[in-house]
Amino acid sequence: MSTTDLASAKPLSVAGATPLLRNIFARFGVIVVLLALWELAARLGWINTFLFPAPSNIAATIWTQSGPDGNPPYAMPMHVLRSMIRLLAGIALALIIGTVLGVLIGMTRWARMLFQPLISIFMPVPTLAWTPVLLLLTGIDDRTTIIVVFIAAVFEVIYTIVAGIEMMNVKLFWVARSMGASRLQIFFRVIIPAIFPYLITGLRLGTGYAWRALIAAEMLAASSFGLGFMIYDASEYMSTNVIYAGIVLIAVLGYLLENVLIGRLEAATTEKWGVQSER
Amino acid sequence: MIATRTPDVPPQAGGASASASRLVAFATFMLPIGALLLLWEGTVRLGLADATILPAPSMIVARAWELLNPVGSQHSLLLMHIGVSLWRALAAFVLACLVAIPLGFALGLSKGAYRALSPLLSLLLPLPAVAWTPIFLVAFGQGDITIIGVCFLGAFFPVLYSTIQGVRGIGVHAIWVVRSMGAGPMDLFRRVLLPGALPALISGLKLGMAHSWRTLVAAEMLAALSYGLGYMIFAARSYMDVSTMFVGIVCLAVIGLLIEHAIFGTLERMTVARWHSSGKVRGAR
Repeated sequence: MSTTDLASAKPLSVAGATPLLRNIFARFGVIVVLLALWELAARLGWINTFLFPAPSNIAATIWTQSGPDGNPPYAMPMHVLRSMIRLLAGIALALIIGTVLGVLIGMTRWARMLFQPLISIFMPVPTLAWTPVLLLLTGIDDRTTIIVVFIAAVFEVIYTIVAGIEMMNVKLFWVARSMGASRLQIFFRVIIPAIFPYLITGLRLGTGYAWRALIAAEMLAASSFGLGFMIYDASEYMSTNVIYAGIVLIAVLGYLLENVLIGRLEAATTEKWGVQSER
Repeated sequence: MIATRTPDVPPQAGGASASASRLVAFATFMLPIGALLLLWEGTVRLGLADATILPAPSMIVARAWELLNPVGSQHSLLLMHIGVSLWRALAAFVLACLVAIPLGFALGLSKGAYRALSPLLSLLLPLPAVAWTPIFLVAFGQGDITIIGVCFLGAFFPVLYSTIQGVRGIGVHAIWVVRSMGAGPMDLFRRVLLPGALPALISGLKLGMAHSWRTLVAAEMLAALSYGLGYMIFAARSYMDVSTMFVGIVCLAVIGLLIEHAIFGTLERMTVARWHSSGKVRGAR
């Protein structure tokens, strides 16, 4: 199976055509073609339009649900907003607590001895398994979903920060200490800048996990808004249009969060501070 | 990860002192865990925490023993839950491998197909598998098909992605050399592609199984009709039976660890570490 593919793969760049158009087509061509096929099949009745509604219908659902005619009005933006608030709150918590714990573990012996075993017994628990317990502890409200997001993201943050500190050059401390820097100064002037790029990497990985956990937690534990709640609620009313609309939004938002937003941030910080290679 | 890095103990030559220092390392590792459990137990016993919301570890152990029912005449409920969960996760994982590995090899080998499909993949990769649950629920209702379908999607993308990366990582030169020596497609696959892609493939399998297991919990909570650990935990919520929930959580964590370290760790040691031993870090990953 491999021989022909490999042979034809080499001299691809010879063919002409405007590079920009080719590039755009190469990036989105398959998605567009698949959507067109899907639309066609749905219109011609080849597939079950109840289970696979046409893409145009899904887009129309997103459009109407985003406007004042939605049920409730402006439903989509509300769902997205609520999900984002929960995600941000959980990630902010994870960043703060994760940074503190990570620095402690990286810098002090007692914290390493104390927290490492505890982390290693809590980390293998699937995040969502905590949901029912949290539901009992806090009730059905935002706290449950926020804590689930926090748990999903915090281990990744701790891990990357500990790794970042281990990569640091000890001489940096010696220099700072010998010049009479206090502990607080060392923390803010030496450690934080040094681990910042790692923090961003941890943030990116953690956000990926957190986004997955959030959607599932919202399906289990949200009572009113949120994308996860929206699609689960829609499954009870069998409105597949809304479910697909939700999946599209979840995919696009997840992509934007992980690759575009934080990817940019990561690129910017690596450019500015230059990680890995030097320290 | 940090978890596996046990406290640093310098390797010593003498057998007795080495085992003694390992014992010390183990003791220092277990100390905080034991302290936490004692603190927890004490808090509940002294009435500082509500035992119906936060049961003491001893109560959880008692509940686990009760659920395990090792001496009773009837079947063991806990083992049934575990068995059903394992069956679902494994079925989904095997199905995912059967589809994802061949597809991964095809996409890894054909640059055109990879370039065409990679936007689609990068859109679907970060999509949580659980998000498909409502569609499966509408199509198939609650039950095994929905759960296995969702876990299949959870395991599929990590395996596919790692396979593609593994195959693409193989140098073209290795393929040219072997082909110029007159190797057929089968030889090429067996001698170059498979061993070359194996490190990435195995880490992909590990990731896929982990995803399958983690997705399973959510899927079982949403869609299970009778058995399964996720179902057990979620059903216990209706009876405010927090001890059962903790039993389920501990089982999920322990089984997850066993799958990752006992099964895939051994697999890695048997294959990747043996073949690519030069320059690779052993033990700690």
